[in-house]
Amino acid sequence: MNLYDFIFYFFAALTIVSAFFVVTTKNIIYAAFNLLLTFFGVAGIYVLLGADFLAIVQLIIYVGGILILMLFGVMLTNKITNVQIKTEASFVIPASIGVGLFAGVLIAILLKTEWRNSPADIPISTLVPIGKLLMEEWAFVFILLGVLLLIALIGAASIARKE
Amino acid sequence: MSQPLAYFFDSLYLIKPETSIIGFLVLILLYDLIFKKEKWLPYISLFGLVVTLFLIIEQYGYNKFAFQSSTNFGMMAIDPFGAFFKIIILLSSIIVILFSILSKELDVARDRMGEYYTLIFGMILGMFLMVSASDLILIYIAVELVSLSSFVLAGFLKNDSRSSEASLKYIIFGGVSSGIMLFGISILYGITGTTNLYEMNSLLQNFDSTNILMILTMILIFAGIGYKISAVPFHFWTPDVYEGAPVTITAYLSVASKAAGIVLLIRLIKSTFVSQKDTFGYWEMIPAFDWQGFLIIISILTMTIGNFSALWQSNVKRMLAYSSIAHAGYILAAIAVLSDQGLVGVMVYFIIYLLMNLGAFLIVIVIKNKINSEELEDYDGLGYRMPLVGVAFTIFLISLTGIPPTAGFIGKLYVFIALVDAKMLVLAVIMLLNSVVSLYYYVRILKHLYLNKPKAETTDIELSFSLKLFILVLAVPNIIFGLYFAPILEFVKTSLIILGI
Amino acid sequence: MSIWLQILISLVQILFTASIILVTVAYLVYFERKISAWAQNRIGPNRVGPYGLLQPFADVLKLFFKEDIVPHAANKPIHTLAPILALVIALSTFAVIPIGPPIYIFDLKIPLVVADVNMGILYILALTSVGVYAITFSGWSSGSKYSLLGGIRSSAQMISYEISMGFSIAGVLIFSESLRPMEIVNSQAGFMWNAFVQPIGFITFVVAAFAETNRLPFDLPEAEPELVGGYHTEYSSMKFAAFFLAEYANMIIAAGLIVTLYLGGWQIPYIENLGLSYTLTTSLQILGFFVKMAAVLFFIIWVRWSLPRFRYDQLMNIGWKVMFPLSLLNLIWVAILVMLMN
Repeated sequence: MNLYDFIFYFFAALTIVSAFFVVTTKNIIYAAFNLLLTFFGVAGIYVLLGADFLAIVQLIIYVGGILILMLFGVMLTNKITNVQIKTEASFVIPASIGVGLFAGVLIAILLKTEWRNSPADIPISTLVPIGKLLMEEWAFVFILLGVLLLIALIGAASIARKE
Repeated sequence: MSQPLAYFFDSLYLIKPETSIIGFLVLILLYDLIFKKEKWLPYISLFGLVVTLFLIIEQYGYNKFAFQSSTNFGMMAIDPFGAFFKIIILLSSIIVILFSILSKELDVARDRMGEYYTLIFGMILGMFLMVSASDLILIYIAVELVSLSSFVLAGFLKNDSRSSEASLKYIIFGGVSSGIMLFGISILYGITGTTNLYEMNSLLQNFDSTNILMILTMILIFAGIGYKISAVPFHFWTPDVYEGAPVTITAYLSVASKAAGIVLLIRLIKSTFVSQKDTFGYWEMIPAFDWQGFLIIISILTMTIGNFSALWQSNVKRMLAYSSIAHAGYILAAIAVLSDQGLVGVMVYFIIYLLMNLGAFLIVIVIKNKINSEELEDYDGLGYRMPLVGVAFTIFLISLTGIPPTAGFIGKLYVFIALVDAKMLVLAVIMLLNSVVSLYYYVRILKHLYLNKPKAETTDIELSFSLKLFILVLAVPNIIFGLYFAPILEFVKTSLIILGI
Repeated sequence: MSIWLQILISLVQILFTASIILVTVAYLVYFERKISAWAQNRIGPNRVGPYGLLQPFADVLKLFFKEDIVPHAANKPIHTLAPILALVIALSTFAVIPIGPPIYIFDLKIPLVVADVNMGILYILALTSVGVYAITFSGWSSGSKYSLLGGIRSSAQMISYEISMGFSIAGVLIFSESLRPMEIVNSQAGFMWNAFVQPIGFITFVVAAFAETNRLPFDLPEAEPELVGGYHTEYSSMKFAAFFLAEYANMIIAAGLIVTLYLGGWQIPYIENLGLSYTLTTSLQILGFFVKMAAVLFFIIWVRWSLPRFRYDQLMNIGWKVMFPLSLLNLIWVAILVMLMN
């Protein structure tokens, strides 16, 4: 096992273990904290795969944006108004059967399929190629994303504003 | 200029309709921001839709790719088939905006109507892209555009708890299903190494048997599409959302967004999985995934569960929701034929479905405006108090059942012929039996309208002239097209050109 | 260059940068007290050492010997974690800020920045967004209303101003065509400082930096009359010191960023025309960086003791309705400028 493998397994373990705690812990703040670790683990794997831009964006968007909003929601409802929010597992048996089946299918596929393996060079930086792709080949999609965000903003404003 | 950018600018003339929709979206937004006159917003929207309609008719004959890449395949397929469905979407949008002017339900939110029309335009843009997208990334963005706008629109009446509930349910189901779809898309990309459907077609040719990975992928992707067209295992949101959302939006979701989802499915099958077409128009499929068997199962489930659940509904909107699930089942049956004849069935069905379903919803809006209820019990005796509404509703419901001489019969007939020609008799019989079941609940509405005595003393309800005219405009074609449907067939046959094989 | 040598060089750089920050923080506190004293016509610290110069060390010593109190209602693990997180993030952000041009020792090219990564700016943005967690967690875990409100205020404020900050930075990036801080500095040769080229972006960035560091006039998170002390109300001893340190380190980073992004970094305009030796030029440039940074730090302190505090709704209004559109305007202005220059 070389250093690269070791780092990979470290991040993979971090991701999976913390994801497990996200699901099982009863305290929702702990869940959020573990989710933070999950995001970090995924970002670490991205770096290992040479997707440096994706890793940083993962941190900025998921850690800096999405998770903090979730925490806000929990903190404002949980502590100030004294409502105890607990996560609870319901329908444990059907859910585990369903998830087990799905996992079985995925694992079977993983083992059965002949994946095409080709050694890839780890790019020095993905930043410039991504920028070029977004601005040239996928320019139309990029513009559409702008429209999509506009729609999302209008929708959010529409929901949030007072009658 | 770099090559991809040159392709981009060369393709701009092909996306004039989409550009016009984006332009009017911004215009409505700015107008609402600056002038704050709600009164003119629907008329600006209608004007925008008419302009877009002209742009689509102008490019009706085109049959080429927009936004080509170096492999000569493009991100969007501009073809008559797409134009046909864009016209359907535009027509239903025009009708729905007219509904919105009439609907009293939206009066509580009159000061937010700017957002309403902007979001409708966002939805139209998304549906246009769903109709012509031939690239998985574009497909995903299109689906998200439609979903995001319709989430907010479904919960547009914020103070109505049912509307908020509808929106929340819609968001949760939508989020999960688009996540599943994205998972499928990522595996598909992993198998083929491309996101373009046409490129995928040539790469999939060497799959000579069904492949378990392919089955998983397609089922995952179908989750996203099935959610949009409310096909059966993904239909759970439909009744609640249709019941809770404003009627105008319910009508819109049941026609336009369903049409877009169906086209997406057809394009996915046609451009990715068809290896060639024989002389009778039957598609020869790449055996990587058994679309026919899959679609037959889904279609039988969808129409049966839709119809049987509709039997014991007491809310008319909810009943129409289940009925729209059933209709999605009929359409899926036509797709399952996997031939050009099946497509003719789908297209004829959609023109007629647009007329009859929107008509039925118009009646629901009119009645709701007058008696402020959608419950079946409150419909007692309304047929005598509002004669025109009663007659029109009868026409729409008979048409939805598919009994001659209404247009609904023609729609079902073409699906049926396609099924029989392809020797799929079991499916044809199941469809027939389902129509019989549907007759029961459609006629139950008529019973309440005419046979049940109203609980209290009532007076006649007067309708304005424009409203009467509007009802007639939707009701009369339902009869005319039932007797004389050559023009529809002509239009459908000329539109039956899908880019590719 | 062998990997071990590289690691050694990095370690030295890290040590050097960290000690710079720690020493600067110590004296920043001293100067803050001195400047506030001048502003209020007082004398300020003058007892410990000549002119009170040893005062910072006395402060640290005092904090060391204080009792570490964890409130009964607190969530202990997170309560302990929060200050560590705050300090770690504050110290690691400085890693990408270049303090001078590359220097040559024994024919080795050593960049005067710990990590010359090509995504330096994104790295800073990512770390600031993680920094919000330290404050959120500390506010939540203390089990006190004041802490919680302070934490929420602070993180809401930081998130709001991160947006205009990001858009202002985008203007800079369009000019430098790189996310590497070294390149950004290089692109501001001569008097092409971004502060002159895009003054609106400069203003929005400085305002956002004030808000990000929770300094007056945006210090609502610790508004003493309302919230006692904000998110660190329930902290004492070294944990409090960690927050204190992190806060001042953030201030230094903000100053370093302002200098790097807008004031030409270590560049001194037209110094290469003077014909000085390489060593002298480099030393002057490094000195230049610190002088600029000191000026910005003085400005930050000066503002603190001159302006009153905003109300919370005013703060949000300014953030979303004034700074955000202004930073977009700046972006358009830069785009037009770049188009004209090509």
